[in-house]
Amino acid sequence: MTSLALPVGNFRTGEARTCDTTGLPVCLHAQRFIKLNAVCAVVALLVGAIGAILLGLTRWPAVHLLPADWYYRVLTLHGINMLIFWIIFLEIAILYFAGTTLLKTRLASTKLAWTSFLLMAVGAVLTNITILQGTADVMMTSYAPLQAHSNFYLGMILFAVGALLGVGNFFACVWIARRDKTYQGSMPLVAFGALAAAIIAVVAILHGAIALVPTWLWSLGLMDAPDAGWYRLLWWGIGHQSQQINVCAMVSTWYLLATLTVGAKPLNQLVCRSAFVLYVLFINIASAHHLLVDPGVSAGWKIWNTSYAMYLAVLASMIHGFTVPAAVEVAQRKKGHDRGLFGWLVKAPWANPGFSAFFLSLIIFGFIGGITGVTLGTQQINIIAHNTLRIPGHFHATVVGGTSLAFMGLCYYVVPLIFRREYAARALCRLQPYLFGIGIVLVSIGMSFAGSYGVPRRHWDVEFSGAPFAKGFDSGAHVMLGLMGIGAVLAFVGLLTFILLTVHAVFLGKRNEGRAMTAW
Amino acid sequence: MSDPKLVDRLERERDTEPGDHKMPGTVVLTALLLLCFVVYYFANWKALADVWHVR
Amino acid sequence: MSIHQPPDDWFQAPHGPERVWIGLALAWCLILFLMMPYWHFRGKQNSTGEAYRTTPAEFAERVNRFIDANKVGEENGVPLVEPAPGSDIYLAAQMWRWYPALKLKKDQTYRLHVSSLDVQHGFSLQPMNMNFQILPGYDHVLTVTPTQSGDYLIICNEFCGINHHLMTGRIRVEG
Repeated sequence: MTSLALPVGNFRTGEARTCDTTGLPVCLHAQRFIKLNAVCAVVALLVGAIGAILLGLTRWPAVHLLPADWYYRVLTLHGINMLIFWIIFLEIAILYFAGTTLLKTRLASTKLAWTSFLLMAVGAVLTNITILQGTADVMMTSYAPLQAHSNFYLGMILFAVGALLGVGNFFACVWIARRDKTYQGSMPLVAFGALAAAIIAVVAILHGAIALVPTWLWSLGLMDAPDAGWYRLLWWGIGHQSQQINVCAMVSTWYLLATLTVGAKPLNQLVCRSAFVLYVLFINIASAHHLLVDPGVSAGWKIWNTSYAMYLAVLASMIHGFTVPAAVEVAQRKKGHDRGLFGWLVKAPWANPGFSAFFLSLIIFGFIGGITGVTLGTQQINIIAHNTLRIPGHFHATVVGGTSLAFMGLCYYVVPLIFRREYAARALCRLQPYLFGIGIVLVSIGMSFAGSYGVPRRHWDVEFSGAPFAKGFDSGAHVMLGLMGIGAVLAFVGLLTFILLTVHAVFLGKRNEGRAMTAW
Repeated sequence: MSDPKLVDRLERERDTEPGDHKMPGTVVLTALLLLCFVVYYFANWKALADVWHVR
Repeated sequence: MSIHQPPDDWFQAPHGPERVWIGLALAWCLILFLMMPYWHFRGKQNSTGEAYRTTPAEFAERVNRFIDANKVGEENGVPLVEPAPGSDIYLAAQMWRWYPALKLKKDQTYRLHVSSLDVQHGFSLQPMNMNFQILPGYDHVLTVTPTQSGDYLIICNEFCGINHHLMTGRIRVEG
């Protein structure tokens, strides 16, 4: 069961095992928290997924499922569980992995990890209960002066503090690894990407605290309402920055999966690392992207903070968008898949869900998410995009088709390697990333083009029936909303498949302790 | 599985000299990305130019 | 290798296609930036964020004075006002209506003051699809020139409570 020799690194006896597949050391304390956080992440994903299908079927005008109050309630629930709980729980799990296994070091503090985990779990439960009680129908953004019950803010604050402690534990691991010299020279690229994500996380969470703590005090009646404009600036300090954490974590996952699935290695480490540094340096006031048609901030401020004159964070994504497929291509050609322009891609292991999820994520993030994101975030173009369905159309391509899909691909390795259980129903596993990927592409395209007709986001009835003035949208918009609805059904089936397969594998999957994982 | 551990397999593959890597497929893919980007981006400026004037 | 320590000599300049791509991407990023100042000076659609401090009570009073001076009728229970071209005109956002309805002249320029009397709202002109954020406490001034005539719908596209989807208003442009 456990390996005979003590794994390399600074572990005490019985504190670590050697991975039977990769040969890397796994700290058993860190392993427990990787598991706990990953399980919570999947629970949040399930809650968000149930929300997703209800919302998709409500915004599909032909179905229009939920009543108005439940539509707005479920929308709040969906946004927070997907964008915050699912993703941040999994990112903390990734930090525990990157901070220990990749640096060959032990978890810095088990106590801190427990505190972090409990705060996050309690915060998530408190916020979700408050939303379901119907006292926090304020959307994920909870724009003041629209007010939620104080427990909504308290839950978010507890969750954020917990996440911050988790990030702190990661920094402590890095410090211990350096002190004990468990690695020499530079840290592995994936750990470096995780470090970039962790730094951005600190900046993001501090913004969150400045935005949410006064708002919480206001909801308790202890302070005046925060200024609407300042609240937006500060809230997006966490709202947008946290998306940059996602990008960093996703790109790190791309590099990781490229290595695990086709043995790819980065062509030029300097280029990859510099791109991560650009993320850290040029995302500071990215909340500007959300204030492009706001009053009170000047055109100069908007233009400057949108781009810092050079769009260097965009440049970073464009660089990764080249180096990741290039690494795959080089690795594939070296294996002899050398025919023509795309022989390497045709011969790629498309039946391996780790690979297909990773590569679809790369394509969806780049071609749909990236292009729409930069366009929407252009100061003047935002006039014809702000708060329309174009916005969720964009971020469903980045954070769902990109980050979530990449994280699913990661799970196809995390479960066999960390939980040491095998996935069953392998054929279904192989199909799952395609089902989800195609669904989310339809969702994203449907939303984007419906938004181009002016269809608003966060809106229950685009026919405005009962309003003083009403005029429905062009029939083209309805076609696009239908496309979105069909995509939502496909993506939901794909997502549910993923959750069922993963839950089954975690609790009932065949154990693989003592031998390498069954190759995909 | 008697496959050598992934880590050993990867360790054995030494880095080849930089410069001998061929990546024409990636070049085509990224060129396509840039093309889509340029088209979508400027189509949006065109759409913006058609709405009411505002300052 | 992405999960292992990099070789000691990893600090190397990129070359070949990778280098070309970085150059190309950087050039494109500069174009992306330059388009914004270019449009700011040459383009006709800009969001300059011109705004003044106000309070809901003060803004409501200005809106009412504006209606009293320019009212020409009523439409669906909402007063219809026809202000002089070139003048300062007012629109209040309130749960859940846009108030009053505006009758404007094509190709004339107006200084449109919009503010909220309660929570955040989103000014969204349809089917023109022009969108601006409306905040309480901020008198958001849009210097606007309608270039097409017709009946336009104002919808709210910032969630503002349970009847958010019923919040609509009217701008009529006559040429």
